[in-house]
Amino acid sequence: MTPESAPNKAMQTRRFETPSSDELLSASAAVLQDLGFQVTETDRALGFLRAAKERSAREYGQEIRRGVVATLTGLLSIFAAAGGSSANAILVLPVDLQQQICASMIARPIDEQDRRQEVRIAFYRLVWKGAGSSGNQQIPPGEQRMEMIRDPEIYQTFYARLAKAVFLEAHRI
Amino acid sequence: MLALALVLGACATGPKAPPAPLLAPTEAQMTLRNLQTRTFDVTDRMVAMRAVIASLQDLGFIIERANEPLGLVTGARFAEPNFYDVVGITVTVRQRNEKQTTIRANAIFDNQPITDPEVYRNFFATLERALFIGRN
Repeated sequence: MTPESAPNKAMQTRRFETPSSDELLSASAAVLQDLGFQVTETDRALGFLRAAKERSAREYGQEIRRGVVATLTGLLSIFAAAGGSSANAILVLPVDLQQQICASMIARPIDEQDRRQEVRIAFYRLVWKGAGSSGNQQIPPGEQRMEMIRDPEIYQTFYARLAKAVFLEAHRI
Repeated sequence: MLALALVLGACATGPKAPPAPLLAPTEAQMTLRNLQTRTFDVTDRMVAMRAVIASLQDLGFIIERANEPLGLVTGARFAEPNFYDVVGITVTVRQRNEKQTTIRANAIFDNQPITDPEVYRNFFATLERALFIGRN
């Protein structure tokens, strides 16, 4: 466990005063659908649900950096050519193209009488890069990377909608 | 001509016989299984499964699959801050007898089984906390 475990848990977790984890589960599925997700996997007995959506991952910052690097390395190649070298050093950086945003959640009872439920959800994304090139060498597309989404606003939005959907207050832990 | 010679050569040697002890258990496998398996004094399998899920989440894993009838939980996380290495874990929960539950965890790092005992000790320590202290 790392020092960030506790704040992450607090961000991802809310408690609800209800005996029904099924209700929380189906309401969560509805909220995720409203947010554009497709439900990919569920287990009712364990209160488990997973959902995903595909989006474009293009960012201005990356495109600009790609342009600047290509121009600079292009200039460098021109100077090298003027100096008699035939090396092609133009670098075209691959940029992020496509991403899959996923959510994995668990609703579980937290007391013996099943009066209260705890919901914990984790959002994360998988990003795929496009093609690029370094000199005469091609960089193939499809390089993949994953990261957790740590923006508290996304979690707050989800729980605000969920609380509204089940007419209950979401308590922080 | 060369291709023909190669084909003929391959025919001459014939298919290679597989080594005999291919499916026999090795010493290393037994040790690994002992590292990966723990038995807990838990009567309710559901309680054990929920504790497994809670401790995986606490350790930063994303729950990828969970199946109650089979007692199966699969999770994954990236070995942060490096986003390219992935740690995967499969946990199976089985009722051993009326009073005990057996839990087995298989962890892999970039598709290679993790054999470091410390990793499993950490996991079971977190699980123990979730099982016996974490109730509120």
